[in-house]
Amino acid sequence: MAQDFDVMPGNKAIAHGVRLARTEVVPAFPITPQTTIIEYLSDFVANGELDAEYVHTEGEHSCMAVAVGASLAGARTFTATCSQGLAYMHEVVAQAVNYRTPIVMAVADRTLGWYWSLGPDYSDIMPEMNLGWLVNFVETNQECLDMTLMNFKIAEDYRVLLPTMISLDGFYLSYSQERVYMPGQDKVDAWLPKYKAPYPLDPTLSKAWPSSMIPSQMHTPMRKEYEGILEDAKEVIAEVDKSFGENFGRSYGGLVEKYRCDDADSIMVTMGSMTTAARRAVDKLRKEGEKIGLLKLRYMRPFPNEELIELAEQVDSIGVVDRVVMHGTGGGMAFQDVKSTLYNTGIRVPVQNFVTGLGGEDIPIDDLYVMGKKVIKNKGKRLDQEVEFVAHDFPGAPPSIKVESDSCMHPASDGCAGCGASIIVRTLLNTLGEDTVVINPPNCSGVNYGSVVKVPWLLANFAAAAAYETGVYRAFKAKGKADKVYVTSYSGDGGTYDIGLQSISGAAERGESMIWLCYDNEAYMNTGIQRSGSTPEYAATSTTPVGSIWKGKPQRRKNMLMIMAAHRIPYIASASLAYIPDFKRKIKRAAEITRNGEGLAYIQVHQPCTTGWYFDPSKTVEVGRLAVQTGAWPVAEIDHGNFKLNVKPRELKPVKEYLAPQRRFRHVDDELLEIIQGHITEDWDTYLKLDKEEKLPWY
Amino acid sequence: MSQDKSKLRGFALNDINTKGGKYVANWRVYKPIIDYEKCIACGLCISYCPEEAVSRREDNKAEIDYRFCKGCGICANECPQEAITMMKEDEL
Repeated sequence: MAQDFDVMPGNKAIAHGVRLARTEVVPAFPITPQTTIIEYLSDFVANGELDAEYVHTEGEHSCMAVAVGASLAGARTFTATCSQGLAYMHEVVAQAVNYRTPIVMAVADRTLGWYWSLGPDYSDIMPEMNLGWLVNFVETNQECLDMTLMNFKIAEDYRVLLPTMISLDGFYLSYSQERVYMPGQDKVDAWLPKYKAPYPLDPTLSKAWPSSMIPSQMHTPMRKEYEGILEDAKEVIAEVDKSFGENFGRSYGGLVEKYRCDDADSIMVTMGSMTTAARRAVDKLRKEGEKIGLLKLRYMRPFPNEELIELAEQVDSIGVVDRVVMHGTGGGMAFQDVKSTLYNTGIRVPVQNFVTGLGGEDIPIDDLYVMGKKVIKNKGKRLDQEVEFVAHDFPGAPPSIKVESDSCMHPASDGCAGCGASIIVRTLLNTLGEDTVVINPPNCSGVNYGSVVKVPWLLANFAAAAAYETGVYRAFKAKGKADKVYVTSYSGDGGTYDIGLQSISGAAERGESMIWLCYDNEAYMNTGIQRSGSTPEYAATSTTPVGSIWKGKPQRRKNMLMIMAAHRIPYIASASLAYIPDFKRKIKRAAEITRNGEGLAYIQVHQPCTTGWYFDPSKTVEVGRLAVQTGAWPVAEIDHGNFKLNVKPRELKPVKEYLAPQRRFRHVDDELLEIIQGHITEDWDTYLKLDKEEKLPWY
Repeated sequence: MSQDKSKLRGFALNDINTKGGKYVANWRVYKPIIDYEKCIACGLCISYCPEEAVSRREDNKAEIDYRFCKGCGICANECPQEAITMMKEDEL
């Protein structure tokens, strides 16, 4: 069948699937290694290739909620996330099921919590597995695209009408390039008609809508009903797989794929991208005359009981490879499912479990070969040790260099050359001194500077850094040490303006005497320059690209100074890395205020980002200075309600001078420039007025 | 009663004592060279160096520890005396 193909990463294949499905609503929030899915989608929307409502949400909890709302109102909806983000949306993920929202969500698997890793294991998707979603694991980038289309058809089938996750391994699939055949739009349109919700949340179409409240007596029968639906979904999955094959020439076997199983007397059970390596290991063992086969679990929910039992009857030994451990049970996720499926059947084959590849470590063919050998040897045996953890030696971190200095940080880091955040964090810590605890919501600095500090630097969950900080501060208070140790955040603008705002607002209102330091580089730089609530208008980012329709970010940034001022906290300041003495004075003032127990001290520091704003690294300070001199970043403070502009040029430079060195503004024409300049002048005039007044009115 | 720390299992600790600076000299394309005739010991390059690779030597003038310099060029760009020149590494 003649089809176009292209070489692309798994994330792009997913995005093309979403485009071909003519998805109507796409809520998005960045998280590695999912982010490029929503970036490709923003490109499609920016260029008119996908006519969808694209929603830049302020966190994953909201992202999933937007998806549920949109799907309830009858729109075909897609979103993507992974790891911490998936965990953060957990309660809404649970809600999506009985609201009967056939959302398709891509999960580019990545290790969840506690030892952080960007690499994939299934600790993120495992806790979401038993909520009633269909959970599909894919092996190749082609499968990414095909399953996006198929899962829409399966999820939207009235016999199912349940949300579906596509689990693709982060990095191994999300970023790795493979050949992907692209079906034609006409064919997809004919095969996948528009979604029609049976009871849309739309009074013009329906007077009934899904309820979340039922009497407790109905819970058990209703839950039983859902087990029936998931059981029936198996038939739909098989049907859709077959029909996709007939229409597009590719099918995958439905719930499972069997590889060289026909005459097998032992099998390996795998899922996701490790399957490709397992195939090669099986081939190698077959060449040696071993009758080993491979069962690839394509859907984990509904679980392919029948397929497994049928195979188990035929074989004498089973080995299950798990990329996750269910702590407290001693083994992996698929292992527990396989064992419990077989128990009441009376089939007694040894089931060996291999837990490996955690934190995203590669699972090489050689390892799988050794595992396969072991499974073959297990035939007819009673296992001494049913779970084996397979790991490799850590080669050791590169050596670091000891230097004698009074600084609170070691020299250099993994950060970009010319990084402004580095100037800010070094100034902050060297001003506060060594008795400081830093609470760090995820950002570039956590990755780059957390490893070269000489003070405790604690990674906090993104939405809750101010609450982490509160806990630490209150413990010091309880122990009578609040006047001896400074507690400060080192947060980016995403962690301040967007996902962290609720927690900061709570801490501000409660009057926690700690410092909130936001280094503001006007986008999510750590995940690769996505728009935030702080991104200035018309800046191009990777989720507000410039296309035939979009011209960068259309909205103006939030005014965080005034948001904080509305909390009537004792100290609020904006500083710039180009004005170090002013910044140092503000840190000292914040320290003084928190030491007096007066309440939250908030400082936001402008940080020009050479990588994200696209300017020469040597110009970091110069661009910062231009931002202040043009009025784009007013350097000000609000001390107990008294507003003061700390840098007041006699005449502002035209904003053009600030935008010119930055490639994120290169599309700005005279018309856009006039709008930007207008807003800056307007704001500046307001600040000048506030500067003259004694106090802000609400203090 | 003192608790036996050695019985703690599964801890991954960040210990300040085990850390140090990062060797990044191999990142550089351009190398900042200070002209000490022009340096007035103002210290701006020290405040602005993102790597804390610049310190004061005995006469208070700036001194670069090249092991920690990535060659970003901020020091040269900010020096009010134009006392720092960025020289291409392979032409030095």
